[in-house]
Amino acid sequence: MGRTAAADEQRDTATPATEAATTGSATAPALAIESLSKQFGDGENTVVAVDDVSLTVDPGTVVGLLGPNGAGKTTLIKCALGIVLPDTGAVRVFGSDVADSHQAAYANVDAMLEGARNDYWRLTVRENLRYFATIHGVDPASVATRHDRLLDRLNLADKADTPVRELSRGMKQKVSLASVLAGGADLVFLDEPTLGLDVESARTLRRELRRLAHEEGLTIVLSSHNMGVIEAVCDRVVMMTDGRIVADNTVSALLSAADRNVVRITSPDIDTALLTTLRSTFDVQAVESTSDGTRVDIAAGGDTLYAVMETLRADDVTIETIQTLKPELEDVFVELTGMAPEQAEQRSGSL
Amino acid sequence: MTDDSDTTTTSTTANAVPSASGATVSSASTTHDSEPKPATYYHLAKAVLYREFLIFVRYPANAIGGIVVALFFFGVLFYGGRLLTGRALTDSIEGIIVGYFLWTLSVGAYSSVSNDLGSEVQWGTLERHITTPFGFAPVALLKGVAKIVRTFLTSAVILAAMLLLTGTQLSLSPFTVVVIAGLSITSVLGLGFAAGGITVLYKRIGNWLNLLQFGFVVLISAPVFDAPWTRVLPLAHGSALLQRAMVDGIRLWEFGLLELGLLVGVAGGYLAGGYLVFQLATRRARRLGVLGDY
Repeated sequence: MGRTAAADEQRDTATPATEAATTGSATAPALAIESLSKQFGDGENTVVAVDDVSLTVDPGTVVGLLGPNGAGKTTLIKCALGIVLPDTGAVRVFGSDVADSHQAAYANVDAMLEGARNDYWRLTVRENLRYFATIHGVDPASVATRHDRLLDRLNLADKADTPVRELSRGMKQKVSLASVLAGGADLVFLDEPTLGLDVESARTLRRELRRLAHEEGLTIVLSSHNMGVIEAVCDRVVMMTDGRIVADNTVSALLSAADRNVVRITSPDIDTALLTTLRSTFDVQAVESTSDGTRVDIAAGGDTLYAVMETLRADDVTIETIQTLKPELEDVFVELTGMAPEQAEQRSGSL
Repeated sequence: MTDDSDTTTTSTTANAVPSASGATVSSASTTHDSEPKPATYYHLAKAVLYREFLIFVRYPANAIGGIVVALFFFGVLFYGGRLLTGRALTDSIEGIIVGYFLWTLSVGAYSSVSNDLGSEVQWGTLERHITTPFGFAPVALLKGVAKIVRTFLTSAVILAAMLLLTGTQLSLSPFTVVVIAGLSITSVLGLGFAAGGITVLYKRIGNWLNLLQFGFVVLISAPVFDAPWTRVLPLAHGSALLQRAMVDGIRLWEFGLLELGLLVGVAGGYLAGGYLVFQLATRRARRLGVLGDY
């Protein structure tokens, strides 16, 4: 909720001590993680959850954390929040060290780690917002109007005085998000924010996350298995596996770098002999029989496409259909991590 | 709920949440329009107490059940004891009521604090109390105070019911009773914090730790006159003072400074000790990465 205006105001009236801190934080990244490592267990049972990870997130950006289960995403987030103490490394939130100046750091950060289990179900939606705003260091009376607006945007206004336990799972999830945003944190961590939401709720949530980032300057670190959410919301994607970052770039850059353009050709003239030739010459990724003939997917980036067409022409193949298949984020993810994301979770939560 | 959007104020909030980042909440900030104002410890205390009240009234089975069970056991104690011992029990009924009142207070304070952390973990709200700019410890302490207030209310109902049931009269100077009983169970609050910290670390051991509440009977009836050293144990000295206040009608200011000093010292000592254990246990839980697990 509006970091800039408040920061400017504070600069006008700050004491020397706070002024120094403010000046330091004016150019500070929203989140800076330096050489962070964390392992659990001893001896043979040692598990390296996070391995020398460094990461910087600029204010007002949305960064997606992607990785298979056990990749270290949640541990990284919990270390960033100080809920788990790292073995080595440092975390700073808007310039404040989480370990040394946790009170200052916590004034600017909040998290939704438990999905729908993130607030008090016996309290009403509004009571939750007021309570967690206070816990987060904000006088709830001063943000009452903002709370109303927030509830309105998340389509929760008519449920404001309803106990959370009486709401659907999707609404509970939205209440969790609302209570995280209620305290006006400038940096929020969201762990699987759309998990369990129906299509419409997930769409509303994605829209609101984009609006919060782009209009109000909220910085979001979002962990999800849902590629659709990541692609739609995030400015940047950080992929993790085995506790390490294996890719860190914008979605478009990751897709471009994948260089995995595939052509899908369908023809009734593709026989076994031609398939053998294609397989021996090119990277054939899939073959399937359809009502229109045989369908072949061939990795054909750059000049390879001409060679494929030449081979088909030499065999007098009449092409029924041809299309280029662009790589998806999931393909990039599998290529970089060597693992498939949790399909079940992804499908259940995807749009 | 009020909206301060129409007012323009310039204020320096002395005890507001510290924020070095220059973000929305600051220790010395000018606030106007609808900009967020920093919450003070007053706001925090109010929010925690109000939440405690809401949880209390919205879990009516828990609230009423605790009172009914406590009165049932007292009924068994009173009528069963009268059948067995006759007049002997009736002669000492005042002491029993005071002791039982203190025991219900102690059990309420201890179990609510030690169980509260487990509940927060189950509700998924514990982490949010850790990442508060107020700091986890002050929030936990205020939650403990809220539990004590709640326990006082339920124990007052139990006390009134016991007096009606037995037709007994006690000296009930509210100031004296609240101060002595409050300080007495502050030591138990310390034990509750220690138990809560151990629960966070080792998880499902709440039932074992709850056994400790039966030890409160021993502490409340400790022979402080025959064995003065027992006065440094939790509850023992406070129980003796409360007996004198409620049975003999002695007011708070009529006790000696040494007696009151010891009451405060024992309360502060156990609270500080419990708080330290709590801090160490939660820090270890953070190190092991098991803080929010259940």
